[in-house]
Amino acid sequence: MTTTAYLSIAAVLFTAGALGTLLRSSAAGRLIGVELMLAAATLTFAAAGAGFRELDGQVAALIVVAAGVAHAIVGSALIASLREPR
Amino acid sequence: MSVDQAVFAFAGSIGSVGAVIAAAHRDPRASGTALAVTLLSLAVLYAGLAAPALAAVALALAVFVTLPLIVHLTVAAPRVHIEGGPSVAGAGLLIGAALLAILLSAVAMGEVPMNVSVRSSDGYDVSALRDGVTGRGLVATGTSVVALAAAAMVAIGVGRDRRTPR
Repeated sequence: MTTTAYLSIAAVLFTAGALGTLLRSSAAGRLIGVELMLAAATLTFAAAGAGFRELDGQVAALIVVAAGVAHAIVGSALIASLREPR
Repeated sequence: MSVDQAVFAFAGSIGSVGAVIAAAHRDPRASGTALAVTLLSLAVLYAGLAAPALAAVALALAVFVTLPLIVHLTVAAPRVHIEGGPSVAGAGLLIGAALLAILLSAVAMGEVPMNVSVRSSDGYDVSALRDGVTGRGLVATGTSVVALAAAAMVAIGVGRDRRTPR
């Protein structure tokens, strides 16, 4: 498949994530929206790396994945602490 | 239509639909499940991009990080309360430091092959990766597995002892 096809999928993911982040009112919904945007960035890096036949794209994608995991854990901890009755 | 095109069409459509459902659905449980499905379909797409390491990482994170977080956020917790006792965060730091020390000592002793090529144009050096797990890195791998199993057993035991009704 061409790089453009993968970038199109990434564009769909990023658009859905951006709309979810902007339009959802719940914190969990916004967290999921940001996760979708990070997944789109990861796919873009991987597709670009494959398109240019360089390993740099995969390395950048791994960094984005690590940032996404940290973001998901911190975000879910914040949501859980907000939900906890005082 | 070739196999690659069929796999891309299937995973791409699943990922796109899952992303839309994850962003639009009001039920957080359905939304989180759709996010997990999207991440799994992305792992398939990474494999199609000749990035099996990235696909494995994405698959492991979707199964071992995203799904537990979704369950943690959407499923009601039991009415138990943990009081007193040693800090779980401190135990985690100790376990992480021990695993890091094992890894560093294995690297210093030459147990971990540092020249494994992951450049797709060179072809993946699968035999070196296999040796890293089963051959030269067997000491580090076995010690890490034993340490993780011991930590899990201790954590389960401590968790049973410290659960008290609220």
